Amino acid sequence: MPRHIFRLILVILVCVVVGYSAKRFFTLNSFYEYGHYRGDSVADIASDKPKFKGVGYCASCHAKQIAEWSNGVHNSSDIGKIVKCEVCHGAGGARDDRGPFEASATGADHPKNLKMVVPTDTRKLCTFCHERLTGRPLQQRQIVVADHAGTQQCIVCHNPHSPKLNLTPVEAAAQAGDPIVGKAKAAACVGCHGAEGVSRNLPGPSLAGQNATYFAEALKAYGAGGRNNPMMSPAAQAINAEDASHLAAYFSGLKCEAAPASDAQAASAGQAIASKCTACHGADGRASNGAWPNLAGQSKDYLINAIKAYKGGARNNGMMAGIVKDLSDSDAESVATYYASATCK
Amino acid sequence: MEDKEKLEGQQKGRREFLSCLGSALACSAAAAAAGAVTTGAVAATAAEAAATEVPPNPAIPGYDWTQHRWAFGVDATKCIGCLRCVEACKKENNVPLDAHHFRTWVERYVTLEGEETARIDSQADPVNIAASGSESEYRFADRYRDAKVEQAFFVPKLCNHCTHPACVQVCPTGATYKTEDGVVVIDHTYCIGCQYCVQACPYGARYFNEETGVTDKCTWCYHRITKGLQPACVEVCPVGARIFGDRNDKQSVISQFIQNNRVSVLRPETGNAPNVFYVGIDKDVS
Amino acid sequence: METLLNSAPFTGYVYPNETMIPWTVLIVVYPYLTGLVAGAFTISSLYQVFGFHQLRPVAHFALLVSLCCMVVVPIPLLLHLGHPERAFNAMITPHTTSAFAIFAYAAAFYVILLMLETWFVFRPHIVQTAKKTKGPVGWIYRVATLGSDDLSEKALSYDRKWLFALAIIGIPGAHGLHGYVGFVFGSLKSREWWSSDLMPAIFLFSAIISGTALVIVLYVVSCKLRKVPVDLACVKVMAYSLWGFMMFTLLLEGLEFASMVYRGREGIDVIMSFVKGPLLVPFFILQFGLGSLLPLAIITFLIWRGTSGPTLVVAITTSACLVLLAVLMMRYNVVIGGQEIAKTGKGLLDYQPPIFAREGLFTAGCVLVLPFVLLSILVRFLPPWHDPALAKAAL
Repeated sequence: MPRHIFRLILVILVCVVVGYSAKRFFTLNSFYEYGHYRGDSVADIASDKPKFKGVGYCASCHAKQIAEWSNGVHNSSDIGKIVKCEVCHGAGGARDDRGPFEASATGADHPKNLKMVVPTDTRKLCTFCHERLTGRPLQQRQIVVADHAGTQQCIVCHNPHSPKLNLTPVEAAAQAGDPIVGKAKAAACVGCHGAEGVSRNLPGPSLAGQNATYFAEALKAYGAGGRNNPMMSPAAQAINAEDASHLAAYFSGLKCEAAPASDAQAASAGQAIASKCTACHGADGRASNGAWPNLAGQSKDYLINAIKAYKGGARNNGMMAGIVKDLSDSDAESVATYYASATCK
Repeated sequence: MEDKEKLEGQQKGRREFLSCLGSALACSAAAAAAGAVTTGAVAATAAEAAATEVPPNPAIPGYDWTQHRWAFGVDATKCIGCLRCVEACKKENNVPLDAHHFRTWVERYVTLEGEETARIDSQADPVNIAASGSESEYRFADRYRDAKVEQAFFVPKLCNHCTHPACVQVCPTGATYKTEDGVVVIDHTYCIGCQYCVQACPYGARYFNEETGVTDKCTWCYHRITKGLQPACVEVCPVGARIFGDRNDKQSVISQFIQNNRVSVLRPETGNAPNVFYVGIDKDVS
Repeated sequence: METLLNSAPFTGYVYPNETMIPWTVLIVVYPYLTGLVAGAFTISSLYQVFGFHQLRPVAHFALLVSLCCMVVVPIPLLLHLGHPERAFNAMITPHTTSAFAIFAYAAAFYVILLMLETWFVFRPHIVQTAKKTKGPVGWIYRVATLGSDDLSEKALSYDRKWLFALAIIGIPGAHGLHGYVGFVFGSLKSREWWSSDLMPAIFLFSAIISGTALVIVLYVVSCKLRKVPVDLACVKVMAYSLWGFMMFTLLLEGLEFASMVYRGREGIDVIMSFVKGPLLVPFFILQFGLGSLLPLAIITFLIWRGTSGPTLVVAITTSACLVLLAVLMMRYNVVIGGQEIAKTGKGLLDYQPPIFAREGLFTAGCVLVLPFVLLSILVRFLPPWHDPALAKAAL
């Protein structure tokens, strides 16, 4: 065999041997352990640190919120809705943005140097689930945002941990006052609110048949400054809580007086618009919850002024402001007419 | 004279042949010896390693992968399209925060009146990205609000962790593989980033991470399920549209889900045998 | 931003991860180059194995063309990989179910085969030059001789046997190397545009025509540059083989497309709208019309009319250029076009390759030009010319 062939074969053999040895040398130790892959990578992948901690992690410090949540509709396995803490507040574990080469996330978990997100724009957050959307199953509570609350934040009315509003009728407040005592004390109110609590054309609203709880809350608000009126504020400051409850008991027992049906057209228009109001104030003007005022038989002018005050911000109530935001003046008048002439019981 | 020449010629030929044979044998012997030495050296180290036995299970504390057979269920009748799962997965797994890389996503199927097939979009659709205002927060736009809709529903999608994964078949290095407990994962220190697996997956479950230079996909949060936790998407789903569990446990939610429902899978004709089981999808979903 | 360079807008519905196109123009250039390798080698083998003596002027040149293209082949792949430094993982632990892993070994084997064949072909020249040249270049030549200056008839007969064996092994080697590229696409279940049993054959035969066309063009150009008359017999044989292989390639491609349309699987509507819309120019006009039917018509006309002389050379070179364009368009339409048809079967993407990026058109252009730069240097060290006209003149 010629020299060059012999040497060529030798070179080829050496290359093959070197190549094969290199292949064996560079094959990682744990490769082929369990299959055609690096055996150690299984444990590597499993050793990443979880970022979502779960409800149990939050419970150790946030017992109050957990309690609210546990009993609320956001934790209801009956209807299959369980909204866990980290859905809204973000993950409790360290959330660094490192690439996946690091086997474990570095950085501290909450609470150490890691603040949880406290959502401020709840209107954006809650509507991820609750905005009315084509394709969303109907068993999911969903709203058309603009119609439901306008630009209001959801938490104005809803506790996010237990968001279902309590719309069932509430029994009279624990401290029921004495209507007899209240009648005596109510003498001072007649000048503006009318005899028997029916105002007709007097400056103050009718108080007859008003919810006791709402009545007491209103007096409290005037006294504390939550509601501001040059007449009522000093008057309310002179009334203590006990007296307030007596007055509340007295007035709630009185019968309201519906205004004579003057403008049937306005009243029926008002009825249509009042569909927004009925959830709280009732279709007949009687609120389902004692905390909200009855509107039946209320002075039409007072109602119009109240609506204007909510719109303008003179009366500060997020819920009411959102609801009356889009009411035009004629709408307000129609609604007021409707409720003013609603049958009193 | 001629005979002598012929004899000399024969002898020369024989000598040549013998020397040739000899050198060939010497070559092979040298090669064999060299091979034996290197193999021996390698085998010695291997024997050392073998002396400390190869463990039957990977070293995951408190977890035996032979005891589990993971599977996933999707109840598309419940999904409300809130996309909390998509965002949670991105946070949990460091998925790039844009509209082009997803380990899991949600599709919306809307059949309008008079149309035979559904209109489909996902949260990555530009219309929906515009509605959410950002490529890292996801929300479906209410684009069918004014349309006459006959039927509409949402379908969450993710890697199906097939029993015969096409992606594992085509990986040239063995960087992606299926674990003993049924999860298809990627070894990010071994992947060369050729993206053959991205092409091979019929479900579009895989993506290339330009920053890390390797491919990535849903791992059923292997780092969570080996600690007794749920995958992040299952953890945050508020309506129970995602179900995960161990098929070895006949009472687990997933076993009950599969047993009590007529479940279907996506693209069964590929022969990949997916392990994500769907309830509530229809003819348009593939 | 780098991420956005490979992203594509879409119509209809595509999976969210599909908006990033995984395989871009570099993966168009790669099968194009391996195709040129296989095709040029086929021309060389037609002389070496099948005894087409008319191809003597180009036989060794074609070998060098094949070699130059082959050494450039890994470059587009390495540029595309996310981790090119780990590229050898596919050789250290090859996953034998993956066509890519088989490629790593097939390519390595084939590079060695080409280098060996080149060595054997040019050994007499290397031995002679080693004696004459001084300095470092001379040293390289001397190493290349493996210390043997044996140019006796016995040694040369060994060389010829080796050459023959290498050429014979090289034919399935080259064809396997490029057929596997077709298998990479054809074996996937995920894309209707790619999934076909005919893909390896289509890639292979289009490779052969591209290599043949390249050798034609380069031979004519080299003759012009060396101011040597073009050997008409050689060009004619190459034209015949180009013509024959082209018809078969068209048949295969037509068959594949027709089958897809006839079967009409899910997603065919979107495919048809794609073919009649965005793909109209690249597919029907450039690849099919300009690049396939026109050269076929030209060559048919030349054969029918028995044309010869400068007209023949110009016409065939033009046809060869068109064929080169057609095959490049075919790679583009398969690779990029296939990814523009969504896996959902319900959407289409529109990929506009960037110009200046790691995986951009400029890089692809440079990669395509590189083998010819290498070739122009290599032919000075290993001159492959066997010009009958010059030989006759020397007599």
